[in-house]
Amino acid sequence: MNDALMHALDRISRVRGVRGSMFVAVDDGLVVAQLLMEGVNGKAVAALAASLARKVGGASGAIGAGRVQFAQLAAEGGTLLVAPAAHDLLVVALADPNVNVGLCRLEMVRAAETSVR
Amino acid sequence: MADDIRTISDALARDPASLLYADLSELLRRRGDVEQALRVAEQGLARHPEHADGLACLGRIRADRGELDRAREAWTRALAVAPGHVGALKGMGFTLFRAGDARGAVELLALVVQAAPSDEGARRALAMVRREAAAAPAAPAARAGAAGERPPVFLGLEGAAADILLCDDRGRVIAGGLTGADASDVSELAAAALAGVSGEAQRTAQYLGLGAWGTIVAETDRANLVLAPVTAGALLLVRRDRSVPIGLAVRVAERALGAASAWLERQGA
Repeated sequence: MNDALMHALDRISRVRGVRGSMFVAVDDGLVVAQLLMEGVNGKAVAALAASLARKVGGASGAIGAGRVQFAQLAAEGGTLLVAPAAHDLLVVALADPNVNVGLCRLEMVRAAETSVR
Repeated sequence: MADDIRTISDALARDPASLLYADLSELLRRRGDVEQALRVAEQGLARHPEHADGLACLGRIRADRGELDRAREAWTRALAVAPGHVGALKGMGFTLFRAGDARGAVELLALVVQAAPSDEGARRALAMVRREAAAAPAAPAARAGAAGERPPVFLGLEGAAADILLCDDRGRVIAGGLTGADASDVSELAAAALAGVSGEAQRTAQYLGLGAWGTIVAETDRANLVLAPVTAGALLLVRRDRSVPIGLAVRVAERALGAASAWLERQGA
């Protein structure tokens, strides 16, 4: 399974502007697999992405919008992308602010499907 | 109950930083010793200001004292920390029901039953408020009126009073409105649920060295959501149907953000 996950992460990381991607356990924010550029703090990205996903997911559920299928936090210096995957995992990507979000999203959704297998 | 109170009191005396204060406070409240329960809850929350169970308990104590505004504030804080907190959702449902908004209470209690299907008390409460809601057909209009009475900040934008909400980071509605699937006003619930999102986004962006955050875009089962900070403490939510392209939803949010910023500036906020 790990090879498949790493292959999926590799595809995400090939999108121009992506600094790193990872599979994260949604409950505790721990890294399951990661592929990061040098200098990216994987543990921090994982923990914060999981926490943000829980918060946004909770708010979405509370207002009747249902489960979050994809979320993007856009900031001046970068963007954090999160998609739910099977087995209570999240696919997370950290990227430059001008990343092609659509392309990155496609690869993340594909990676999420990989986690089912 | 007296034995339980003694046991937990002893444990708390041995470890004053324990989260058991919330259990002790709740037992004291149930025994009718509301003032002592309040002291225990406040002391515990002084150590653990983001402890959702403690905040939910504080809300119940405030409600017992007839301080509904302060109760709602405590439950709002609990929901900001833990958006699906069953106790806080129950409490908010209770305050809506007390305020005559049976339909709003139904929405919240339905969430509680969904989250805790074995909670018989919540089931009974839901059945009761559903009967009340069915017997009050004028309520939706009254709720729509409440949204209509808010400042017309987003006039000219589609869904100005039904899909665009401006709220603060303490879970209070500022302007606009959000309606539920049955067209009832769910603005207050949404504001409460969104209370902690802004802080979480800010923390994430800062810690990762991304600078100031601009938007959160979320594609959900039933909607595309765009969240954006307006000024310090104010948060904008724009909701669009899933059929609306996410890029278009972001454009609408940018227009709403401009309107909200200008309006807040005129208010001196």
